[in-house]
Amino acid sequence: MDNLDLLKELCETFGPSGWEDPVKEKILEELGPLSRLVREDRAGNLILTVSGTDHSRKVMVSAHMDEVGFMVSGIEDGYLKFRTVGGIDPRVLCGRRVQILHDGRYVNGVIGSKAVHHQTEEERSQATKVKDMYIDIGSFEEGEDIPAAMCDYGTFLSEFVRFGEEDRMIKAKAIDDRLGCAILIELARELAKNHTMLPYDLYICFTRCEEIGYSGATVAASVIQPDIAVVLESTAVGDLAGTEDHARVAETGAGGVLSLVDRSTIYDEDLIRFALATGEKHGIPVQVKKWVSGGNDAGHIHKSGRGVRCLALSAPARYLHSPSTVICAQDYFCMRDLLSHMLQDLQISDFETR
Amino acid sequence: MVQELKKIMHIQGVSGREKPVMTELAGLIRPYADEVRTDALGNLIACQKGASKSGKTVMLCAHADEIGFIVTFIEKNGWIRIAPIGGLRPWNTLYREVAFSGGTRGVIVPDVGQDVDNLSFEKCYVDIGASTEKEAERMVRIGETLAVAPNLVRLRGTRYAGRPVDDRLGCAILLEIARNLSGKACPHTVYYVCSVQEEVGCRGSGPASFDIRPDYALAFDVTGTGDVPGATPMACSVGKGAAVKIKDGSVICHTEVVRRLRTLASERKIKYQDEILLHGGTDTSMMQGTGMGSKAGALSVPTRYIHSAVELFDLKDAQACADLGAAFCMAPEQED
Repeated sequence: MDNLDLLKELCETFGPSGWEDPVKEKILEELGPLSRLVREDRAGNLILTVSGTDHSRKVMVSAHMDEVGFMVSGIEDGYLKFRTVGGIDPRVLCGRRVQILHDGRYVNGVIGSKAVHHQTEEERSQATKVKDMYIDIGSFEEGEDIPAAMCDYGTFLSEFVRFGEEDRMIKAKAIDDRLGCAILIELARELAKNHTMLPYDLYICFTRCEEIGYSGATVAASVIQPDIAVVLESTAVGDLAGTEDHARVAETGAGGVLSLVDRSTIYDEDLIRFALATGEKHGIPVQVKKWVSGGNDAGHIHKSGRGVRCLALSAPARYLHSPSTVICAQDYFCMRDLLSHMLQDLQISDFETR
Repeated sequence: MVQELKKIMHIQGVSGREKPVMTELAGLIRPYADEVRTDALGNLIACQKGASKSGKTVMLCAHADEIGFIVTFIEKNGWIRIAPIGGLRPWNTLYREVAFSGGTRGVIVPDVGQDVDNLSFEKCYVDIGASTEKEAERMVRIGETLAVAPNLVRLRGTRYAGRPVDDRLGCAILLEIARNLSGKACPHTVYYVCSVQEEVGCRGSGPASFDIRPDYALAFDVTGTGDVPGATPMACSVGKGAAVKIKDGSVICHTEVVRRLRTLASERKIKYQDEILLHGGTDTSMMQGTGMGSKAGALSVPTRYIHSAVELFDLKDAQACADLGAAFCMAPEQED
């Protein structure tokens, strides 16, 4: 079933790092009766356990629920001052639509700054700083009841749109990492539907706070103590005009991306080989990341407990951490299918010792 | 010790891809160990069981990984693009011969017209003598690791220079201690850990330590010196004995361990010096803070030009570390 409704729903859900509750609710809703297999750990991660035949062997698959966003840091003359939550390039901010969650309801706004003809020469020559921007939620008079407060969370407000030839591309906010969440939900449904008995216990984890480096995954991994972990992510690619060949990182539309090394992890060689072989065996495109950059939950997971062999499978994405992250729909299906085949083909005994 | 050192220096083990050197180390330590295994991250863990039931658990750790590169891209003309793994800088790496894990050799050079002092490895490549992408792909794989070619030359007396001294020398010291203690009926259980991924932020020793849960832990690594022109003042010199670590950038060593090492060195007439390394960390910190924690310290070999192709040390200092380390394993507890 090749359907992108689930991904759309998840991307359009509100969930900056630290306030993932709406995403949790959405995930539990989508899991339906399977949600009875879900527990929430102390860090607030959701962990769905799929029991297998051998409980001494454990595999963890994870995706983070949070997205980059904003926090209200002050209110001046009805305008909201804010800080970014997670890494956002200030240059993508001006003029963007945002939503603020205040007291249980969403308030729409746009990010503004001083008009260009009001800026000094110096201000014009450099990117506007976040501290000089504000969120405009429809001007309010002083003393009026402003529907926002310090520490309210915000996210981009951005529709899920398909475009390009045969609508092959997707533009949305929060593809990082709702795409991973969507794949995991589909995986859980598929395993349940087929009554699949894996030869190990599978832990499907939806983690918190990846974007701010705190990483709920640390706690999830400590709780589970898996033998192997697969992290579903998205990775910024440079398949753009004017980029030198060796700096393109990966190509959109060429399948999920396997990281060799990033700033937080050196990935398990045997798992990379296994992923490539699985792709080849089942005719699913998969590519290797040709650049060393970024980091993800694997950085915390692989060092937890007695150590965990880790693999990262990422969607090649353009304009990451912006309201218009762009991916190729086909890559989503490729990742979903590759993960499913890997979990079914996995001979865990191959990974016990080196 | 030097023959064994030379042997393990010549087998590659760039961080995260240590399997070849670990296989060699496993073979070398097996005759002295009751048990040898590798964990999920590839740490080599060898154990000598203690003779006494009330004995303590001592973990000795030296990292087996080395700084190097990974192949990220093969260009149309056969140039190999790479990314560094660990603390490498172009100015001490360029125009050197490099060895790939698959056996291919090459030379690492910058793109033409680069300012070498302000250069990143994105603007460098390895020339393997191939003329086309196809030819290069037969010689090198994407994801393969490489490092500056290994080398060890004897300069004068017991002074040697080469790479990767950091930290195969520590591994050689562990082997020496294991040999020394085997058959000595040491009352304490001693774990010898050749750790992975130290050079990228001490990622391997934590999980090993979590598993072993040592009472006492000692790291064996190289340390900087203050005995060269222009050096930051540091009370540590090549040739002046085993360096008993007091602190480095990542750890303040347990005072009991520091005192014990000093006492033992004085009693056994082992030459030693104090070490405070201002910058840089070691596996010591991970062993100290992982799981329930341990009383941790370190013995270092004073080494000049660390992370270059000419890391220089004195074999007598390494032997002193081995002697002092063995003495510590026999009696780690400080009696007041």
